[in-house]
Amino acid sequence: MNSEDNQISHAIVSAKGVSLAYGDYVVLRNVTFNAIRGQALVVMGGSGCGKSTLLKSLIGLLEPVSGSIRYGDQDFWASDNQTRDEISRRFGILYQGGALWSSMSLLENVSLPLEMNTELSPKEVREIAEYKLSLVGLSGFGDFRPAQLSGGMRKRVGLARAMSLDPEILFFDEPSAGLDPLSSRRLDDLILELKETLGITFIVVTHELPSIFAIADDSIFLDAETKTLLACGHPATLRDECPEEKVRRFLLRQSNFS
Amino acid sequence: MTEEQGQSPLTRMNCKVGEGVLHCRFTGRWTIDTAKRETSRRSWRRALTNEKEIKKVSFEIGEDVEWDSVLVVFIRSCLRDCKESKLSVDMSRLPSGLCKLFLMTEEKIIEKVGLDGGEPSFLTAVGELVFAVAEAILSSVHFLGEWTLSLFRLFRFKARFRASDFLDSCRACGASALPIVTLVSFLTGLTMAFVGSVQLAKFNARIYVADLVSLAMVREMGGLMVAIVMAGRTGAAFAAELGNMKLNEEIDSLRTFGISPMDFLILPRTLALFVMIPMLTLYADVVGMLGGMVVGMFVMDFSLHHYVEQTQTALNSMWDIYSGLAKTIVFGGIIGMVGCSKGLNCGNDSAALGEAVTSAVVTSITLVVVADALFEVFYSIMGWR
Repeated sequence: MNSEDNQISHAIVSAKGVSLAYGDYVVLRNVTFNAIRGQALVVMGGSGCGKSTLLKSLIGLLEPVSGSIRYGDQDFWASDNQTRDEISRRFGILYQGGALWSSMSLLENVSLPLEMNTELSPKEVREIAEYKLSLVGLSGFGDFRPAQLSGGMRKRVGLARAMSLDPEILFFDEPSAGLDPLSSRRLDDLILELKETLGITFIVVTHELPSIFAIADDSIFLDAETKTLLACGHPATLRDECPEEKVRRFLLRQSNFS
Repeated sequence: MTEEQGQSPLTRMNCKVGEGVLHCRFTGRWTIDTAKRETSRRSWRRALTNEKEIKKVSFEIGEDVEWDSVLVVFIRSCLRDCKESKLSVDMSRLPSGLCKLFLMTEEKIIEKVGLDGGEPSFLTAVGELVFAVAEAILSSVHFLGEWTLSLFRLFRFKARFRASDFLDSCRACGASALPIVTLVSFLTGLTMAFVGSVQLAKFNARIYVADLVSLAMVREMGGLMVAIVMAGRTGAAFAAELGNMKLNEEIDSLRTFGISPMDFLILPRTLALFVMIPMLTLYADVVGMLGGMVVGMFVMDFSLHHYVEQTQTALNSMWDIYSGLAKTIVFGGIIGMVGCSKGLNCGNDSAALGEAVTSAVVTSITLVVVADALFEVFYSIMGWR
């Protein structure tokens, strides 16, 4: 078995020739990549390169114009609704602003997915929800409303909610956006710990360089101009050896003029 | 040496005691989609209470155990019990990944944030209610005052808003409301004519249906119906729009640019209602009379000429129409200001937005009906009816 076959057999998510468009406006063309089980894949690129759009299509909110997205051996977009729901239960999503349900307390936010999707007793649901909140450092805040929290705290609750069903894959949309360097560092550490202890696969959309270098096992670089995947590999390798100047400049934080 | 066993076929916990150590071994599936773990919990409790000589608890898990947060939460609750009974714990036989999950939360468990809870006493509740009512009255007076100041600023050309905002509001609460106003007022006139025709037939005075419909429409029903429709339509829209702007911190950002939300947002909206409601009322009066005329012509067999002439005689003084229109200006003010103030004072989450909109509609309809009654009392005291 050569290394490429080996990669595909370990891939938990694989996208093949995916093209995405909003109506007639094409955002991404022919994107192919694999996310390996238990690793963190970072999707990076400048603003407007289609990172979030790619994420949308991975989590089932935007159907690709062409190409396939596979979870294990199941083709996500070719499946019927029920199968799609089953696949969706295997992943958790942290939205950019947290997207917490504002009329519910934090504890209710985390426990609702458990109540709706499992047969656990109310006491167990509560215990698990409290545990997830304590995992993100928010134990004791269960009775608070999202409106009473700071942006960073909301994001952490979003993470606790994303983890409520013990997902195999966690999708993060710009996890460090709007966070101070320390909170963002803490979030990175949390991702690393969860990856190590629970073997969760992470797919993280971000353009924060420190986060990219801290968490990524693998990365893909999307380009806004060509609307394609420009490079893939470990970010450090890309920074030093990538033939594309644009990718190196992005990772070295150099502008065109320097 | 005792042994506790049993439980569901999937999740299993064996408790064995030997040399003062309670050995707990987890086997089977400990995942969120497996059955309940009540029996495991019971056997853990039994083992703890029955065995007095236990000094230490040791946890281990079987080789092919599937586990997720459920096991973590279970062991966490066991650890809490151990802490209470002052037992030492040995977790060295648990997989390192699992142990790490406890470490990640360990110090944080203790930190509790106090919320002032507990049911308030009856007296406290009454007191709070009184204060809340007083505050509500005070804040609406405050709002009215600010609005008046803003209007004065407008007269001195100091209040600034965009003309397009004003025209947009005029269109939204004027022209766009025509279809619904047409329907409602036509049916109101029609219904009154039907009801009136039955009663007036008893006195052989059926032609007075024209008087009944026209006077009732211009004095009372035209304005009231328009006001109710506008409260549901425009008042709710104002509250929702401004409430949403508040949620998105748009109002705050206006303030920081030195733009008064009162001048910029509320004045154009309320003025639009002031202007449009009397016009809509005039229109509703006419349509309502048409509704009555349809009944008069096709059900009661009056000629068009006869009915129109009778209507003209009934409305011989313009005061009837003016007095009806005068009321609607006040209705417009009530609807606009209640809608805007509810939106502006909306809470910080989406549920509060819903409450603000509901409350805007209910409050403005109530106030409109109260104002209408006061007007009628006032008119009759002054002998203007």
